[in-house]
Amino acid sequence: MTAPLPKRIIKETERLQSEPVPGISAQPHDDNARYFDVMVEGPGGSCYEDGEFKLELFLPDDYPMCPPRIRFLTRIYHPNIDRLGRICLDVLKNNWSPALQIRTILLSIQALLGAPNPEDPLNEAVAKQWKENQPEAIRTAREWTRLYAKKG
Amino acid sequence: MLAAQGKLGYHVELDYQAASGLSERERALDDTVLSELLESTHREVDCQVCYNLMLDPVTTYCGHTLCRKCLARVLDHTHHCPVCRRGMAIPPLQQTRSNVTLVKLLNGLCPDAVAARAEAVFEEEREGTGDLDVPLFVCTLGFPNQLTFLRIFEPRYRLMIRRALEGNGEFGMLMYNRYLEPQGDLGPVHFYHYGIMLRILHTQTLADGTNLVESRGMYRFRVKAHGVRDGYGVGNVERFDDVPLAEEERIEAEETSLPAAGEGDMTGQINRMPTCALVALGQDFVTRMQARSANWLQQRVLDVHGQPPDDAALFPYWFASVLPISEEEKYKLMGTTTVRERLKVTASWIRRIESQRW
Ligand SMILES: [Zn+2]
Ligand SMILES: [Zn+2]
Repeated sequence: MTAPLPKRIIKETERLQSEPVPGISAQPHDDNARYFDVMVEGPGGSCYEDGEFKLELFLPDDYPMCPPRIRFLTRIYHPNIDRLGRICLDVLKNNWSPALQIRTILLSIQALLGAPNPEDPLNEAVAKQWKENQPEAIRTAREWTRLYAKKG
Repeated sequence: MLAAQGKLGYHVELDYQAASGLSERERALDDTVLSELLESTHREVDCQVCYNLMLDPVTTYCGHTLCRKCLARVLDHTHHCPVCRRGMAIPPLQQTRSNVTLVKLLNGLCPDAVAARAEAVFEEEREGTGDLDVPLFVCTLGFPNQLTFLRIFEPRYRLMIRRALEGNGEFGMLMYNRYLEPQGDLGPVHFYHYGIMLRILHTQTLADGTNLVESRGMYRFRVKAHGVRDGYGVGNVERFDDVPLAEEERIEAEETSLPAAGEGDMTGQINRMPTCALVALGQDFVTRMQARSANWLQQRVLDVHGQPPDDAALFPYWFASVLPISEEEKYKLMGTTTVRERLKVTASWIRRIESQRW
């Protein structure tokens, strides 16, 4: 048994459906309205272009006082995303604010795909490659996108 | 923000006052304008934390406005403004007045919506989660009539305490079930299902936000159903009391008339003792231990838990509060239904201590 869904979560969910963000979708589960199937398209011009990345997003009991929990389900070659799909992003940790929302978090994640930051790595091996041989790292990221994040 | 600065306020109040004494058609037109205005000011008058119409709005030092309750919850977690992230931006809420301009504006613009919102929050706070109306704090063991001191530092429990204080000042406390022992119909849950209802006597908030809570045990209860609300436990509980005195006396008569127990049968011997002898056993033991200056009966312990109570029904709870034995052992008192049963538990502790089996 759980508490009724806070108005805020209902409104956020409605807005995600009624005013969708291009290249991003978030669909709540029928049996758990705090659990979302998320899809983020790789930004154009990035090495994740044409990729469709699946993520899972969960709103904890004390959301929005605490940030959503979110991770990549699709394999991705990125210095700020580890092998378990966990994401190194300040707004998901210390810089979370209850004035942020699911929409802004997903946009931040999409922006992170467009701007990998090997200086603040979560995946050391990938970050190392990114710093030492960027063209090769980008090639691998494209290859993985083609292999694991194919549209459709 | 326009509304907070009062600019929007005057403009709208004028519109609203002009509406009185107009024809039907003009009034209808006015309603349309008003609803459009409301729609367009939505982003201004909706709280950015709860996404509802602002209730009892408070403005931060940095000029951002949120519901008082929402700001209080933010303060449990951080001193940064949620909107602009500026540090130390949130004023101490007890002394801070509401944003009067905005309150007037909202009351003038949409009194029904303000009333409905206040009503909804009141219901939400009171009802909690339907049947699951008792906050449950999984922590340690507590007993009726005994004091419990808690340090509350996690934001979700600070919210729980604040809500309890706004309500009847009570919350339930349960003991942590480390080994997930099955708890009746509830199965293997992370708490033991008999708990204590605590009444908050005094709270003090330290500079770092830690809340010191002094409370007294009121009565025992059993958890029938449980859930989660904003991160802390809630439940449907049933008060758990002793059987009537007549029944207690019947049990005593039955047990004391059993054939004598064997010499080595400690449990059997205790089981046959009259209730008044069990009481005397406990009192004598305490007196003897005090004479020997036992550590667990030092003055500072008695300062907290008081002198042993004369009431035999309460004596075991006091005894358990001061005796240094495991919580799991003390928990045996929680499911008892007679004074006699509790005194038999304490008598078994005394016998085991005396025989140096502990
Ligand atoms: Zn609010
Ligand atoms: Zn601010």
